[in-house]
Amino acid sequence: MTDREQPVLPPQDAPANPYRREFLWVLGGVGAAVGAGLAGWGALELMVPPGTADQWHKSVCRFCGTGCTIRVGLRDGQIVDIRGHESGHNRGVICVKGSMLRELPRIEGRLTRPMIRKGGKLVEAGWDEALDLVAARFGEIRDAHGPDALAFYGSGQLFTEESYTANKLFKAGLRTNNVDGNPRLCMASAAAGYVSVYGKDEPPGSYEDIDHADVLLLFGANPYECHPPLWERIQRRRAADPRVYTICVDPRLSPTAKRCDLHLPVVPGTDLLLLNAMARVMVEDGLVNRAFVDRHVRFARDGHTVGFDEFAAFLADYTPPAVAGRLGIGADVIRHVAHRFARAGAAMSLWTMGANQRTQGTALNIMLNALHLLTGQIGRPGATPFSITGQPNACGGVRDTGALAHALPGGRQVTNEAHRREVEKLWGVPEGTISPRPGYHAVELFRALEDGRVKGALILCTNPAQSMPDCDRYAAAMDKAFTVVSEIVADSETAKTASVLLPAALWCEKQGVLGQGERRYQLVDKLIDPPGEARPDLWILTQLAERLGLGQLIKARTPQEVWDEWRHMSAHSVYNFEGMTYERLRALPGLQWPCPTEDHPGTVRRYVEGDDPFVSKGAGIEFYGQKDKRAVITLCPYVPSPEQPGEDYPLYLTTGRVLEQWHTGTMTGRIAELGGAAGPARFMVSPADAAARGVSSGDMVEFSSRFGSVRGRAVTDPDLRPGLVFAAFYDARLLVNRVVADHVDPVSKEPEFKLTAVQFRKIRD
Amino acid sequence: METADVFRVLTGVLSVLGALLCVWVARVNFGRIDPERKVSLGVATVSGVAFFKLLALAALFAVPAATVAVANYHTVEGVHGVEACNRCHVMTPMVTDMRDASSQTLAARHFRNGWIAKDQCFVCHSDYGLAGDLRAKMEGYRHLARYTTGTFTEPIKFRGVFHNDNCLKCHEGTPRFVAVPSHVTVRARLADSSLSCLNCHGRAHPTRDQRTPGHADYGRLTGEKR
Repeated sequence: MTDREQPVLPPQDAPANPYRREFLWVLGGVGAAVGAGLAGWGALELMVPPGTADQWHKSVCRFCGTGCTIRVGLRDGQIVDIRGHESGHNRGVICVKGSMLRELPRIEGRLTRPMIRKGGKLVEAGWDEALDLVAARFGEIRDAHGPDALAFYGSGQLFTEESYTANKLFKAGLRTNNVDGNPRLCMASAAAGYVSVYGKDEPPGSYEDIDHADVLLLFGANPYECHPPLWERIQRRRAADPRVYTICVDPRLSPTAKRCDLHLPVVPGTDLLLLNAMARVMVEDGLVNRAFVDRHVRFARDGHTVGFDEFAAFLADYTPPAVAGRLGIGADVIRHVAHRFARAGAAMSLWTMGANQRTQGTALNIMLNALHLLTGQIGRPGATPFSITGQPNACGGVRDTGALAHALPGGRQVTNEAHRREVEKLWGVPEGTISPRPGYHAVELFRALEDGRVKGALILCTNPAQSMPDCDRYAAAMDKAFTVVSEIVADSETAKTASVLLPAALWCEKQGVLGQGERRYQLVDKLIDPPGEARPDLWILTQLAERLGLGQLIKARTPQEVWDEWRHMSAHSVYNFEGMTYERLRALPGLQWPCPTEDHPGTVRRYVEGDDPFVSKGAGIEFYGQKDKRAVITLCPYVPSPEQPGEDYPLYLTTGRVLEQWHTGTMTGRIAELGGAAGPARFMVSPADAAARGVSSGDMVEFSSRFGSVRGRAVTDPDLRPGLVFAAFYDARLLVNRVVADHVDPVSKEPEFKLTAVQFRKIRD
Repeated sequence: METADVFRVLTGVLSVLGALLCVWVARVNFGRIDPERKVSLGVATVSGVAFFKLLALAALFAVPAATVAVANYHTVEGVHGVEACNRCHVMTPMVTDMRDASSQTLAARHFRNGWIAKDQCFVCHSDYGLAGDLRAKMEGYRHLARYTTGTFTEPIKFRGVFHNDNCLKCHEGTPRFVAVPSHVTVRARLADSSLSCLNCHGRAHPTRDQRTPGHADYGRLTGEKR
């Protein structure tokens, strides 16, 4: 101790605040509770299971023409999941084929290196060797036999940029209009019908019209199996309003027909009688909207304008009692359907291959449109004539770019001099470059390969050796010529005939735009690398152009460069989609043309004021594709199909698709879940026809027609009417097209896949 | 009356009882209890002191514990109800749509057709069994935390994996299910939820676009004035 005085401290046990300790305890308790709560929350956030994919990208389904917007899920650079895009026109709905897209890039047998046929066998080669050979041979053929000895056979499955470039390369570069493709086999009649009626191709309406229709006429269409998201949309419409009435016209009790309110099982090949008879009832019973017709419609016969009275007189032969016997349905039913259609608040017709793949395909398409025009069932929500498409890019890629033998881009025609001059100017080639002669349409092109008129062909992204009618004949024709085939697998029927086989990238292994049925363009971005040395078809075309000395013509080399060239070119037509930049297409689930500016929202209903930018102010509805702005109804007399069952071939064969397979099965047939669900293709026959030939379900049979024969299993289907046989064309092990007739529509040149007279007999296993 | 309502009433009764017991016990001066006093409990007779000690035990521990237990039952079971989900306004669009007689979403169709009798949100969003129930509640707690802290943005987005078992537990094996051949061939993918049932069968709820403020449907779905 010192002498220094100690400071006076407050007593240690006297708290400054008597409740401080309790307060701290409470604070601590609350803090602990909050901490525990936050820790629990944090733990729960970490415990949320990871989704099926790390990254999701907007894309488009690779298969049918519904053109569903999808989301592609990636993990570790692999596609692991596919979901419907809820903001897409399909509202999140896709089908099992789209769901299994994830397996598509990994299918067995992908072609990874170019191959050249040497000594009858395809042997691997480098790209330079293969492309040099193709360019040299094409050059030789052109020099020796002229440009029309060369041909391009494309596909409604190519990206728009690819079809556009091929069209330009052949028509303006190689100077031949021998540019056609598989859309000729499925959509040509729809295109011819729209052009005949409205002056321009592509449907006036949209899928959205399904949501507003009161009567849905499904004519030669089977969306339950072939376009499931559209069928689902129809189902939703029916559920929302039980008064909605669905009519299915199909000789076969298809899965769609089974589910409709009314099925009209017409005798195969006679359905133009039904449409004409419906028109007759509409005229006779005062169901025609004369005010609409007088203002917007013109009638024509053999290219000459006629009056409504002549149209009415023409229909005199098509009274319901006069046609009912040939149609195989009652006259009252015809009247009933005509009244339901005409009196509907909004009537929508949906058709596809049953109307298109016919020798009267164009006439059927014209009359389907005509029913809407006569009754004014067009141009308002739910009232529209709608052709459903089969392939993902037949509309946008081929029909719009004019990649067909008779066509030029933007709805122009090869035979129209002014159109040729316009396109030559836009492509920057000298006047007279484009030949005025239409090229060979698909069937004629393969006949030209057969008889040597065409000696060299480039075939991209399609399998004609399986998909053509009378396919053995045309596979042999391909064997004879110098054919360059770009394929994803080495063993497709077409690949087997190739002189040079090139490995193609597919779907999101490359970048490009796909169209679909309702004038919508959507962007597919490249997400993964193609296998091995596989390359996009656009790359193949630009490399070929370079080697053919046409590099100056094909300056656009990347998908976006080609798109921009085509986009700007479209501004010189009423197919104007200049406002659809890649940036917009990447951000949005597609846009519908016309879409002339970058702030335009796209056009849901064409020819309608306020929606379509080309309709004159105050016009309301204006069919501006025709010079007088009136839609044209051409009088279409019924002509029986050349295929009539007789003594030798007493049955009708009709072909189609099944739910789980698409087209020739090159892709879907190699995906286990889809292949397993569809099973091997078989002939579906009625129990009566089977019994008459001593055939039991599952027996091996041989089918024959005037065109060939094919063997396969027959399965009895009690839903099939006697005299009718059905087979799907997806299975290379049952090449049904060997027996299918190759008669074509005189206008559209589309073959009549839906009708062949056949016979079958039991054979030993 | 719903079970949860019974428990809600019971919780209230127990709370009041607990409070009354506490007041009663607090007013007793244990030092002045007559040692000779006996209290009959029916099955046994105890001294006055023992009686009030038991009463104190009940007031301070037993009744509060029972109240918490019953209240928790109410909390855990009560959140099964649609209204529990609907309390967060970001969930209102789902509930509004589900009850919309004209909606064609899967939720609305299941609701309209009476395919799920009650607790529709919970039935479709809880996996099978006790673990599924627990996971759903944990997820509910996570949602609650997000909602109360405002750590979410509209439109809300589903996180994790929606297990197809929620669909398959009712649909699998039905004649209509097995009539579709691809249901059989994609069975393994459906089972591990790597292929969503919604792909083919459509949206369950309004789209994200519809649930975004500013969308034409937003006001109708949330019940808010635009």
